[in-house]
Amino acid sequence: MNSINKIIIPLLLLVAIAGCKDSFLDRPSESQISSNNFYQTTSDLRLATANLYGGSLWWNWQNSPWLELGDVLGGNGFVGYYASSGDLYAHSISAQNDILSSGWAGLYNVIAQCNTTISGINQYAASSVSATDKNAAIAEAKFVRGVAYYYLAIYWGAVPIIEDNSALVQNPLLKRNIVTDVYKFITNDLTYAAQNLPTTDVAGRVTTWSAQGMLGKVYLTMAGLGQNGVTRNQAYLDSAKLYAGNVCKNSGIELYPSYSNLFKAQFNDVPEDLFALQWAPGVGWGKGNDLQTMAPNMGDIQGWSSMNPSYDLYQLYTSKDTVRRKATFMLSGDYYPELNAAAGGYTAGGQGLKKHIIGNAKDNNSPTMDIWSSIEHNALLRLADVYLIYAEAILGNNATTANADALLYFNKVRIRAGVDPDNIINIDSIYKERRIELAFEGQLWPDLVRLSYYNPDKALNFVNSQQSVTFSYSKGVATPGNGTTGAPANVVPATISSFTLQIPASELSTDPKLADPAVPYYK
Amino acid sequence: MNEKHVIRCVRRVTKNLLNKYVILAVMLCSFGLVSAQNPDVKVTGTVLDQSNGEPLIGVSVLVKSSKQGTMTDINGVFTVKAKVGETLKVTYVGYAAQEVKVSSPQLKIRLKEDTKSLDEVVVIGYGTVKRKDVTGSISSVTGKDLLKTQPATFDQALQGKVAGVVVQQISGQPGGGVSIQIHGVSSVNGTNSPLYVIDGIIIPPSSDPGNGSNPLSSINPSEIESIDVLKDASATAIYGSQATNGVVVITTKRGKTGAPKITYDFYVGYQEVPKKLPVVNLQQFATLLDARANEIYGGWSWDARPQFANPKYLGTGTDWQGALFRSAPTTNHSLTISGGDNTTQYLLSTSYFDQQGIALGSDFKRYSVRLNLDNKTTDWLKTGTSLQLAHIDEDVNATQSSVIKTALDLTPDVSIKNADGTYGGVTNPSGVVQPTPNPIALALINKDKKLRNQLFGNIYAEIQFTKDLSLRNEVSGNFDFNTEDKFSPSYTLGLAVRTYNDASYSYGQNIYTSVRDYLTYSHSFKQYNLNVMAGHEAQLSTYQNVSAARKYFPSNNVTSISSGDATTATNDGSKGSGPALEAYFGRVYLSWNDKYLVTGNLRDDGCSNFAVGNRWVLTYSGAFAWKINNEEFLKNVKVINELKLRLGYGLTNNQGIPGNTYVTQLTSAANGLSGTAQFQGNLANPYVSWETTKNYNIGLDGTFLNSRLNFSFDIYDRTTDGLLLQVPLPIYSGTTSGPGNMAAPYENVGSVSNKGFDLRISSTNISNKNFTWKTDLTISHNENKVLSLGAGGSDANLSQTNYTNNEVAEKTVVGKPIGEFYGYIYDGIFATANDFKTHALPVDQNGKPYPISPNAGGIWYGDRKFKDLNGDGVIDSKDQTFLGSPRPTFQFGFSNSFTYKGFDLNIFFSANVGNKVLNQLAITLNDPQNHISYLTSALDYAKLALVNPNGSATDVNNVYVTNPNTSIVGLRNYATVNDNNRSSNLFIEDGSFLRCKNITLGYRLPENILSKIHLYSVRVYGSVTNAFLITKYSGMDPEIGSWNPLQAGWDGGYYPQSRTFTIGANITFSK
Repeated sequence: MNSINKIIIPLLLLVAIAGCKDSFLDRPSESQISSNNFYQTTSDLRLATANLYGGSLWWNWQNSPWLELGDVLGGNGFVGYYASSGDLYAHSISAQNDILSSGWAGLYNVIAQCNTTISGINQYAASSVSATDKNAAIAEAKFVRGVAYYYLAIYWGAVPIIEDNSALVQNPLLKRNIVTDVYKFITNDLTYAAQNLPTTDVAGRVTTWSAQGMLGKVYLTMAGLGQNGVTRNQAYLDSAKLYAGNVCKNSGIELYPSYSNLFKAQFNDVPEDLFALQWAPGVGWGKGNDLQTMAPNMGDIQGWSSMNPSYDLYQLYTSKDTVRRKATFMLSGDYYPELNAAAGGYTAGGQGLKKHIIGNAKDNNSPTMDIWSSIEHNALLRLADVYLIYAEAILGNNATTANADALLYFNKVRIRAGVDPDNIINIDSIYKERRIELAFEGQLWPDLVRLSYYNPDKALNFVNSQQSVTFSYSKGVATPGNGTTGAPANVVPATISSFTLQIPASELSTDPKLADPAVPYYK
Repeated sequence: MNEKHVIRCVRRVTKNLLNKYVILAVMLCSFGLVSAQNPDVKVTGTVLDQSNGEPLIGVSVLVKSSKQGTMTDINGVFTVKAKVGETLKVTYVGYAAQEVKVSSPQLKIRLKEDTKSLDEVVVIGYGTVKRKDVTGSISSVTGKDLLKTQPATFDQALQGKVAGVVVQQISGQPGGGVSIQIHGVSSVNGTNSPLYVIDGIIIPPSSDPGNGSNPLSSINPSEIESIDVLKDASATAIYGSQATNGVVVITTKRGKTGAPKITYDFYVGYQEVPKKLPVVNLQQFATLLDARANEIYGGWSWDARPQFANPKYLGTGTDWQGALFRSAPTTNHSLTISGGDNTTQYLLSTSYFDQQGIALGSDFKRYSVRLNLDNKTTDWLKTGTSLQLAHIDEDVNATQSSVIKTALDLTPDVSIKNADGTYGGVTNPSGVVQPTPNPIALALINKDKKLRNQLFGNIYAEIQFTKDLSLRNEVSGNFDFNTEDKFSPSYTLGLAVRTYNDASYSYGQNIYTSVRDYLTYSHSFKQYNLNVMAGHEAQLSTYQNVSAARKYFPSNNVTSISSGDATTATNDGSKGSGPALEAYFGRVYLSWNDKYLVTGNLRDDGCSNFAVGNRWVLTYSGAFAWKINNEEFLKNVKVINELKLRLGYGLTNNQGIPGNTYVTQLTSAANGLSGTAQFQGNLANPYVSWETTKNYNIGLDGTFLNSRLNFSFDIYDRTTDGLLLQVPLPIYSGTTSGPGNMAAPYENVGSVSNKGFDLRISSTNISNKNFTWKTDLTISHNENKVLSLGAGGSDANLSQTNYTNNEVAEKTVVGKPIGEFYGYIYDGIFATANDFKTHALPVDQNGKPYPISPNAGGIWYGDRKFKDLNGDGVIDSKDQTFLGSPRPTFQFGFSNSFTYKGFDLNIFFSANVGNKVLNQLAITLNDPQNHISYLTSALDYAKLALVNPNGSATDVNNVYVTNPNTSIVGLRNYATVNDNNRSSNLFIEDGSFLRCKNITLGYRLPENILSKIHLYSVRVYGSVTNAFLITKYSGMDPEIGSWNPLQAGWDGGYYPQSRTFTIGANITFSK
């Protein structure tokens, strides 16, 4: 028995144990950065806010609710063979509708990222980062958050306002907040953004003009809220006029000359796009722009659902209004040389969506682009939209207007499209112009909700009197009828309830307090 | 059986035994008497088994004085040089050692088999203890017992074998895993599984073993010596922070001193799907579609299919299930050599296992080699190793390509192959019929291959300082290297066209290492036995992985990544380490007079998963056992061999969450603005800390009637506080499942209680020379109840949405068990005009009932009624209620084994009682408004008719349903506003079952044949696994294991367990 060994070996082991230092239990991630080590430079802040412009956080909202709530609800089209979309078309949206819950989830996902970015910057930003840069970064997050809450207010009215997601860890179940406070929250965010965002930035980033344009739209919406009768709140109309007018006159930004090019990826982020989502190719399902799932067969890109334009929408386009029509939807026989160019272009075999259909990977010189990841940067706010908001704000409570500014900007939109300018405008001509100009950009239903705030009968009449059926088209003649698209032939009419969506059923089960009356957010 | 009878029985048995002992004693004495002082002679002897007189081969015979030794040959004969009067030490594995005085040059020695159960050794963590001295709640299964069912992986074989342990198969896919819950569900996140320790090597839990990455599948079940399941805190506490949910300790076979023993086991079998779902054939399908297209009551004005105009001229169409499921072979070979001398013992084992899945596109192959070595290096040092190398080759395409679900969805009018031999597919261009790809083609042309090389290794060195004091040092590691090779070819399957092909390849390695050292002091004082152990342990997991993908391969036959188009290349990868765990631990064990046993455990655990201030925690437990049978008042009661009362209490802690959830983690995400951006991947909770479980256990073990009857009974009460959970917050938190959300925070939420009991009874009903009959029964009962859910008060809940209907189907609330089903109560269909007047209707967001109308947006005949539970006259979310628990109230295992001469028969049943199953497939397949295939039950859709045939079909007073008792909705287009498929008890079925898990009939070849073919022992057998199933459940199989306790019992097109017929043989070449 070697007693020396018997002593040495345990001693060596004791040394080994002692070698287990405190840092043994420190295991920070090697694949990710922790928030407490981030926000050290302005470029860190820029990487943090870049996240808010696209990617998975926007996916749930963009992949179907944006267009299906925005356009299908209002009667611009019908997405075939998809019961959830049929329900939107029929205004019979139950709380279980998956487009509904996808929209709710998507907007709150965006808000969660904005909130966490803001608190990350406030908590961890290095003192070496200038206050201007810090505020500008927070302003970007507040702008995006304002846009998300705007859509929530439009579609659901009273919703819970969340400013700090980490507070939900301790207090997860909230009540809804009254809709006027939701709008107040939105204007607070957008006002901060307007004050702290720069006047210019790299293409794709929002500027003060983006925030002011959005403020114009929000104030115009608020002007009708809670107004009995048909008169809108003049103070809010004036604010809308102020902000929208500022963008029209002082931003130095002009409409992009070609309407059709606006929706091609080569012309992503032209100055007219005041806020556009910034999508990347090759990111896989759930992270990219997948609007091309509505595309026809274009070689490597082949969608499976189709957005069928409605007969009512088709009828709005005058014979001169072909640029916008062809850039918005296809009619049977339309030829698009830029789609599947290698195979000689694409000729439409039926009616379908054209906006957001940009062709395959080769057409866009983007090898990793696929059906889940179009590189189109789709705009949520365009200058043309702000022009029309400005005109509507000037029109205000008047039946008609021939105000020079109103006509100037209203007609800029028409002239670019190649149609004749008007010399007097009223609410109907504005709504018609908006519907055509902004078709399949998710704007129709928000416009109708805005109308329903102060003139519900007119809004209901708009919805129930139109021929939102799909149509067949041959030799220049369109014939209404649902044909094989599967749209319901007979629909129960929309009611005033239709202008507020239900809280998703699963959300109501999780948080029964959402069924309680809404409470004020600002005490 | 009355008292007298028992006593008589006992007397007879004791008499019998006494007789034998007397004979033996007399025999030994007589040897002694004959002895004389002689010089060395050649002593020849035969060693026989006392019970059957068979010669024993390889018995070690040692002359005590000269240290000379030898072994018996094939006839049990040995020869040594010894003096008459000297003592021979005769030892043999499994038999009691004997010392024999040399009385004559011709000896006959009979060895007695060890009386098993009482001296069985149980692993208790950093040590072992004899079964009779155990103080905690520990159940054991022997390797022999496991092998009775020919399991592909050992975890599958635990079902029904261990009381208190609920085992449910997650997937019938070859190599698929099981979910195991010991003494109830105490955690609500994915690491609810017990800790697995294989020869000291801790196997980290898998995130999803149902999906073909079950880490336990690399163990060859035939190498297992025993499995010990540590159930209560007094037993598990010593394993510390990973052991809250119990510990499964697996000990593999080791070499034993003796001549080389060679065994060869093999079996071949074939498997088949035990049940197919009754789906419509082509004629039935066409009839239903015709009726729907022509339905006048509610607007299917489209989707008429001219080819179905005359269903009676159609054939039966494609049986997709029949095409997908096959009779699949399975084969196993394993060869083991073991033996050793007094310094070195070895076991070398190699095996090959090949199982084809019953669904096309799935199979599993395992090649493994094991080396277990023990060496007595010096008289104070023992060293050794357990090493296992395994190579797993799995095809998981069937699961990845969801071919089972697709085979159920695809309609019978689509053909598997076209006339020209190419694969068929959906050709209907109407648009309503989705161009779902042909699942048979997908199963065969897609590739998803997982390869895994796994090395488990453990080396130890044990230093014996004195007779009582030893130090054991162990280094162990689990090295897992895996690849996944996926290729999706381009194809044209009817209208389902994939214009390009693509491939992805990933490589990953997970390395888990631990170092532990512990001192053991063991000493027997006069009346006391003391055992003290203290040690230190450090464990670390690291992982690294990388993946690459490309598109546009020149051919579907060239699938290496390099041949794809380089411009389409994408890649990904990550690496990291953690959790890191460190612990100091100790145990004191004291017994007094072999009557009173006390154990105390203490362990201080540190874990990297928590923020700095929360990292260390103390775990402790204690147990007391009273061996009542050793008390004076029972000493003379011969009917009782053993009676032991156990009391245990302990507090254990659980760290089972991922690392770094206490800070926000920013992930690089591709972005169109700046190339990359930093996405915030999780909602951080800096306060997250240890989960604590208080565990009380009372147990009673008894052995009676000369060990013919024994039982073990445990009652437990576990309360878990600070429940670690990734909380399913409301969607508005931005942390729901789905793209773009942040991972929900891990929180210490509320507490949960598990109370229950488990019982195991084993009895030898008949035992005589030729015939034995043994019965084993296990019963487990658990009651689970949530005591609190922390923040959120009475409204707090953990709910899960069912993806089939986008609705909450499960809700966990305070006062109810975890994972209860939730929804509405189905109340018939709208069948008469009166129903619309008297029955509550669903309402819109303003509380207004939806209109009664056949148009889209209305409620109409053939829609489902739901109960207005709160009586407010409308149907809304307040009318939901709890619909039962997915967990069985009782789980049973019932095994009977018979032997008659050379024959053995084993029949094993397992049963679940009281569990509910959510039949998700029935939701879609019973809905005639869908555009997929249907169950035949859907043919009984609500049929509408007019009171006055000439009247209006839209007049509510002129319509009625001709089959008002159906539960299948009518054929109306866009009948969605009523939300007929909302979560309801219609889809919740009773999942109780009785399964004949296994029947095995074996035959051991008699000696006279064996001696001619020079083999030691041969057993041939035939067996049927999953022989039959008795259940009311309408789906394929009500046994739905789930990895997520909040989604337990959700049946969504699950890979069914196969019925397997096997024949095989166990051959021992020499003993």
